[in-house]
Amino acid sequence: MTTYVRANAWNNGGTFDNSDLLWYAKGVGAMMSRALNDRNSWWFFAAIHGQYLPGTSNAEAQFPGWQAIPPAPRVPTTPLPTQADMNTFWDQCQHQSWFFPPWHRGYLIALEAQIRQAVIGLGGPATWALPYWNYLGPDSQYEIPPAFTQATLPDGTTPNPLFVAARYGPNNNGNIFIPVPPVSLACMSNDLYTGSNAATPRPGFGGPQTGFSHNGNVSGNLESNPHNQVHVDVGGNAPDGTTWGLMSDPGIAALDPVFYLHHSNIDRMWAQWNTDGNINPTLSNWLNGPPATGERAFVMPMPGGTSWVYTPADVDALQQLNYTYDDLSAAVSMLGASSALSVRLQKLGVRSMATESQDSGKDRNSSKDTSTDSELVGAHDGALLVKSSGARANVRLDPGVRSRMSKNLERASVQAEPDRAYLQLENVRGARDAQTLQVFVNGHLAGAVALFGLRRASLKDDHHGGSGLSFELDVTDIIDTLYLENALNLDSLDVKILPNNAVDPAAPISIGRVSVYREQHNK
Amino acid sequence: MKAIDRERRRVRNSVLLLSALGWIVLLAGSFGATGLSHCPTMGSGSHSASFHALLAMNPVSALATGWALMLIAMMSPTLIAPVLHVYQRSFTQRRLWSICLFVIGYALVWMAAGAVLLTVQLISIALMPHSSWPAVVVGLIALIWQCSPLKQLCLNRGHNHCELAAFGVAADIDALRFGVMHGIWCVGACWALMLFPMLLIQGHMISMVIVTIVMIGERLERPRALSWRLRGTGKLMRIVIAQVRLRLGLRSVPGSKTNAWV
Repeated sequence: MTTYVRANAWNNGGTFDNSDLLWYAKGVGAMMSRALNDRNSWWFFAAIHGQYLPGTSNAEAQFPGWQAIPPAPRVPTTPLPTQADMNTFWDQCQHQSWFFPPWHRGYLIALEAQIRQAVIGLGGPATWALPYWNYLGPDSQYEIPPAFTQATLPDGTTPNPLFVAARYGPNNNGNIFIPVPPVSLACMSNDLYTGSNAATPRPGFGGPQTGFSHNGNVSGNLESNPHNQVHVDVGGNAPDGTTWGLMSDPGIAALDPVFYLHHSNIDRMWAQWNTDGNINPTLSNWLNGPPATGERAFVMPMPGGTSWVYTPADVDALQQLNYTYDDLSAAVSMLGASSALSVRLQKLGVRSMATESQDSGKDRNSSKDTSTDSELVGAHDGALLVKSSGARANVRLDPGVRSRMSKNLERASVQAEPDRAYLQLENVRGARDAQTLQVFVNGHLAGAVALFGLRRASLKDDHHGGSGLSFELDVTDIIDTLYLENALNLDSLDVKILPNNAVDPAAPISIGRVSVYREQHNK
Repeated sequence: MKAIDRERRRVRNSVLLLSALGWIVLLAGSFGATGLSHCPTMGSGSHSASFHALLAMNPVSALATGWALMLIAMMSPTLIAPVLHVYQRSFTQRRLWSICLFVIGYALVWMAAGAVLLTVQLISIALMPHSSWPAVVVGLIALIWQCSPLKQLCLNRGHNHCELAAFGVAADIDALRFGVMHGIWCVGACWALMLFPMLLIQGHMISMVIVTIVMIGERLERPRALSWRLRGTGKLMRIVIAQVRLRLGLRSVPGSKTNAWV
């Protein structure tokens, strides 16, 4: 019997009538009352994810430096912990990596343990567990649970620790909701954690393999959407455009209590994905975590002054952790690679395949990476500047590669799996994260990318070395459509990029190159 | 096989093979580890005459060849990431050409740096033949440089894998420019480390191997804030230990020994 069950934050209308939320608020309040240098404090935990505190190497002279964050909450910047504590615990968050899901799972468990201890101390239930915000759920669940927007707790006088001033929403007006679409459950139809096949676009559900040299990479499909998009939608930009919401920036995001409910939902999606029969990596470099590739271990402070060192192998199954979710039912109907290929071949007019595996459901045996090679098909040379009105790129195609791609689609069959195609936005740089770009190819919506983490990735003396971020959108279906419309025989593709927010000319967004790649597959 | 693994392996294996060939030629050939084929005994004559004598015994062409071999052997392994970047961002039919341009740009910078470093070496031998002092002084400078924020700046810039044009002359220029810029930051990061073995009276080869390991190791580290700190082979050593343990079938690696809090 599992002791801790994480439940939907929208139970009882998402108000303080939901006791999980009331106790969460009280627990957060207790953690916020502790000093910055206390390993059990709210502030210390936020810095485990990332921080811009004065006196550290991440210090920022202005916002988002922690000293410039507008209350509430009133964020302390002293006393700093010992250097040893900062080196051990702070700035651990894993992004653009296959460690994204397991690191955050351990982070949630540690935070939950801290809150639970506070809840018990306040007379609450010993089995309290962190709720999740299922913004992709039915009815009005796309809205932030109302408990997060109240100024006070139900007593009418105690300030609500869940209330955050710097939370502006997708329209930058304080109305917090998640636009669905573009936020979606699309990643749940993947059947590969890392890699690609007919059901899974690269880099896979959980993220790209992190090698010995981590130069930054694209986000995994779960991380890209919904994770990144929800971050920037909740955070948004301040109405005056000078600053942005806490959730929009990795170095201040975990100061907002809704952060943990968002990640609880992301963790639930990972658990759902596993419950549906999909497997996590079995390579020792994943199971052993970053120490296998020379990086520091995952470590969390726990109640009682202990530390918990963990690996992905320790957290890759819920049952070994003594907690679960109240709803792990399948989020989408999973086709599996064989059926996804069947559907695609049907669209391409390969009729012999149509009945072979249709309705056969997910074929777990086919869940393997079938990619064999990848090559550039075309590119827009020269940097693009994204303005409020958007940007347009003429992606010129190489005639030889385009011809190979067309022939590959012509010859598509069960035995000759057709190519996948991807649109890349390379070396994207900017000074703001709170932005989502919608991308269209020849008028067809290719998808959206949220620029979560862009600002730091653009800094020359930070982890990405100033290379910025690169984003990849699966445009296989669009290429298939163009092929069927006899429109693939073009010299170029028209790519249109539209930002969801106005772009401040003082904080421009640049795209180094827009390109299209084909990825060959072989069953 | 995963496409990305295949690309990585292709590039990594080619680069390491090239480096191995460089080491074999250095070890087996007539080129000394210092780039000089002759280190003369200079017991008499003016300093100027000694310098000229050194040049006479080591023609520029031989010096340049020896230096190029050292670069191939020592620097190639540090180029896996940028070469992979060029490979992935180029059309299939242009990959080899673009990589060549990148290497040419990179090599031009290092050859220019080599002219300076070899001159320093020759002058040092001419002024203080058989003296350990030049190596001691440069070793000290190398240690200070190794710990300095400027070194970190050069390493950070070396991680900046910029956008590359795909077509025609623009693609050629970008590949060449990327090579030149990467070379500049590489020289900035490594000049002192490269100069040190050249001034040693003995132990050139072993010191070159150590310097190569240090240079590979420091490139595996992520870019970080500029500060004074000791930079070396920490991450590389951790990787080696972890991977050896994993290949020996030991379940956990140092640093991932977990405790059962939950």
